[in-house]
Amino acid sequence: MSRADEAETVNVTVNGAEIEASPGELLIDACERAGAYIPRFCYHSRMKPVGMCRMCLVEVDTGRGAALQPSCMLPVSDGMTVETETDLTKKAQDGVLEFLLVNHPLDCPVCDKGGECPLQDQTVAFGPGESRFVEEKRHYEKPIAISDTVYLDRERCILCDRCTRFANDVAGDTLIHFMDRGNNTQVNTFPDEPFASYFSGNTVQICPVGALTAKPYRFKARPWDLEETISTAWTDSVGSRITVQSSRNEVLRLLGVDADSVNWGWLSDKERFAFEALNSEDRLGRPLVRDDDHQLVATGWGDALDRAVAALQGAAPERIAMIGGARLTNESQYAWAKLAKGVLRTDNVDSQLGDGLPVEAVLGLPRATIDDACRPGGTIILMGPDPKEELGALYLRLRHAVLEDGATLIEITPRAGGLTGLASHSLHPRPGELPALTAALVAAVNGEAVDTAGVGGGVIAAAAAALDGPVTVVLGRASLAETGESVADAAVNLSRLDDVSFLSALRRGNIHGALDAGLSPGLLPGRTTLSAGSERVGEVWPGLPESDGLDTAGILAASAEGDIDVLIVLGADPINDFVDHAAAVAGLEAAGTVIAVDLVRNDSIEAAAHIVFAAAGPTESSGTFTNLEGRVSVCEQKVTPPGTARPDWMLATELAHRLGADLGLDSPESIRAELVSVSPVHHNLIEEALAVGRIDGVLVEGNGDIAAPVSTTADVPSNDAYSLRLVSTRSMYDDGVALRHSASSRGLARGLDVRLSPTEFDKLGVKPGTIVKVESSCGQLLAPAFADSSLPAGSAHVPWSAAGSPAGSLIDAGAPFIDVRVERA
Amino acid sequence: MADIADYFRGFAVTFRKLFEDRVTGEYRGGRAKEGQPDDKRPKPERLHGRHVLNRYEDGMEKCIGCELCAGVCPANCIYVRGADNDPENPTSPGERFGFVYEINYLRCIHCDLCVEACPTQAITESKLFEFSFTNRSDAIYTKDELVVGDDGKPQQMPWEDWRDGEDQLTSGWMRATSSAGDHRYEGVVHWAGELGYGVRAPELGQSAEVASAPADGGEVE
Repeated sequence: MSRADEAETVNVTVNGAEIEASPGELLIDACERAGAYIPRFCYHSRMKPVGMCRMCLVEVDTGRGAALQPSCMLPVSDGMTVETETDLTKKAQDGVLEFLLVNHPLDCPVCDKGGECPLQDQTVAFGPGESRFVEEKRHYEKPIAISDTVYLDRERCILCDRCTRFANDVAGDTLIHFMDRGNNTQVNTFPDEPFASYFSGNTVQICPVGALTAKPYRFKARPWDLEETISTAWTDSVGSRITVQSSRNEVLRLLGVDADSVNWGWLSDKERFAFEALNSEDRLGRPLVRDDDHQLVATGWGDALDRAVAALQGAAPERIAMIGGARLTNESQYAWAKLAKGVLRTDNVDSQLGDGLPVEAVLGLPRATIDDACRPGGTIILMGPDPKEELGALYLRLRHAVLEDGATLIEITPRAGGLTGLASHSLHPRPGELPALTAALVAAVNGEAVDTAGVGGGVIAAAAAALDGPVTVVLGRASLAETGESVADAAVNLSRLDDVSFLSALRRGNIHGALDAGLSPGLLPGRTTLSAGSERVGEVWPGLPESDGLDTAGILAASAEGDIDVLIVLGADPINDFVDHAAAVAGLEAAGTVIAVDLVRNDSIEAAAHIVFAAAGPTESSGTFTNLEGRVSVCEQKVTPPGTARPDWMLATELAHRLGADLGLDSPESIRAELVSVSPVHHNLIEEALAVGRIDGVLVEGNGDIAAPVSTTADVPSNDAYSLRLVSTRSMYDDGVALRHSASSRGLARGLDVRLSPTEFDKLGVKPGTIVKVESSCGQLLAPAFADSSLPAGSAHVPWSAAGSPAGSLIDAGAPFIDVRVERA
Repeated sequence: MADIADYFRGFAVTFRKLFEDRVTGEYRGGRAKEGQPDDKRPKPERLHGRHVLNRYEDGMEKCIGCELCAGVCPANCIYVRGADNDPENPTSPGERFGFVYEINYLRCIHCDLCVEACPTQAITESKLFEFSFTNRSDAIYTKDELVVGDDGKPQQMPWEDWRDGEDQLTSGWMRATSSAGDHRYEGVVHWAGELGYGVRAPELGQSAEVASAPADGGEVE
């Protein structure tokens, strides 16, 4: 605000008491700080005020006499005198509430908002007590489903503009809006267009009445039934803070918590609604073993653990491997890392399923926080996945930074995404061209002449000119059909920019906690390597691996060769999640014994697991979660696990015990204490800090002993004129295991299609919408082809879908990029 | 010796009572043999007995599953869960109906706050307290047991001692003033009819004007 330059603070008199406020602060906020709560419906601290509801009228005197003014629209000014409890104010509040209730139905007993409804509460606190209106109320069709997860009841709507402002201003999905005029004004979707926003659940949370309600919570409980605890969303790596609300030992609803440094109270619908999978009937409540007829049958814990121990005891360390672990809490990850690397002494441990980045690129570059990335005046280089599809809450923060705080966005992605409209420059290189493009960009910043084949040098020069202020690179794996090494090389190039830092955009749950716990080949807990950290960790652990092990691709390849006796699958579904479908199937089927630790039976378990441990889910065990910044926040247990399922860390200690070793870990707290003792980077992760940082978490900073990545770029061979280079990106509803078991989100999974640059259609001789055959060296699929003008010529896009892994069947994990032939089917 | 005299003096009341009329009734819980008396004592008009879940005259359930009764219950004995009505074949009017409704009579203290809280007069208390179950699962009345039958009469469990005419005393109609607590509405019917009974007439009021007015409500009881 412009007044900010004039004075440090301004003095405002609220109900006779003088308070200090910062210039530009809204009166409604200043009064609340001073202890004079002003009722409001439309005002929301994370959105721009509109003054729709008039509930916040107070008497304000700025020297020209007292008058009623909406306090949410009024920035404080020096010498302002405010009265919030005068007769005039009360009469205004009475009047506003009486008018709001003219058409509001009194169906509170059946309304999901009843009991936690701002309209109810404020009517009791500030309302007239009685209405003079006896006329029939306005009627609309009772709830209409405006999307798969949200119901709209227009009778209850008080036209506060919160949902529409959120959809338009915050999420950028203008799919609901006011229509009609006067008494008939209503909020609705556009004809034949559902409210298909990835963020629709937030409108339910901020609706001050019961006009918007969520299908998964519909009629499930009343507010006074609910018990709640704070936790962290687990479906992606943003680490959004949530409250978990349950009744009768069943999680019924998640709400966003306004953590200033993370999610600002917003959640993506996947974070909000995927908890349904935890309540699904397919949850594992008992361990399973494969019987003589190759069927998985339930058994007791003793039997399952003994079988696992028998398999592990007979295997040499280098013939044991463990993949997955991003689902686990930090504590469980540490326990499993200690079991695998310290007790079993194997380094064939990888928590990334071939869809991530080399650990040096994640941990070895200067790291940024979300707040760093969103600095006013800074530049964000998005070189990773579309945050709207994969990291919903981060997308909202970045969007706000660009729109409201003047950050500059430069996009280096394989195709247009959710932020493209906000990017000052969008560069869409073909797979394999990232290193060359970034080298050219850095050269252009340094004033050198550039020329690259894919994207014109002029565009690069313009993008280089737009670079301004501190630079944050949002770094991730945009396309699964291009190796992480290629992205890491590009990151090395960008690390030569001035004042640059990197925000990891690895998407998978607690993957950053897994890397910090050492669940990666060659790593030990605390961002250190096997060589650098062996002395420190070796003092506490019973042993260490002798040499660096294999990553997931290496493990699956070795397993297919018959070189893996025991494969532990730690909360992962390689058949659907590993980038190379054929390699995953071959590797799992050839492994001697497959031990799976999971929540539900997934395709990998059905196909290959011999022993299945039933694990406790994120709301069923206590621990901490590390988000993409390295911020550690708590996940508290709210309900008990189904059946006899146990927390993952407990399974690791139990296995170690039966193997004759003692992990010395008996609670999440003791595991954290040991992690702090072996890991200098985790030095501030003490219980007091976690208690203080209950909302915002504790930031674990530094690169530890991880060196910056080294460029490995080989020349990119050009493809022949008949083939196209494959791009495969994820969408939010990717049909993964969690979504497939969430009743209300299941139907949202996207269908399979092929996107081509518009110019390709003439070459192929087909029209958009025709079924085409896409064939690579290792597989093929049939899907309708559509145009995507953002795709660079010579590339083809197939969305990553977990179910059946159609894109994965085209991808060869060993190849740096994939060339496909697209033909008329 | 005086001690022995004191001893018998202490029994004076006991001996005197031996020759007075008995105050206990001949109640045999409905299990009297031929010729034996089996009398229930008349109960006060506003006694709180076991609950019934009422239905509208068209057979729809009054309960909408709002859980206000469960929320207000000081003994935590009521468990309710709502669910969506099937629009083609609704259980209750509106969007929501009581999908689960259970009252645990081992906990219930018959305070009637649930009846006060109910926005649709779905739950009311009968005058029945002669119900003696012998195990915990019988003590937890489910919705099937609480909701009135197709004739509007309360379901009669094998262990409950219902007598003729007691089904008349199941409604919340006998409110002293009005359900809104406003004396101006005394004697004014503003409650819905019940399956099998129709709209029950109001009770005689407590204030003089209404008591002296022609009381068509007087015929009940």
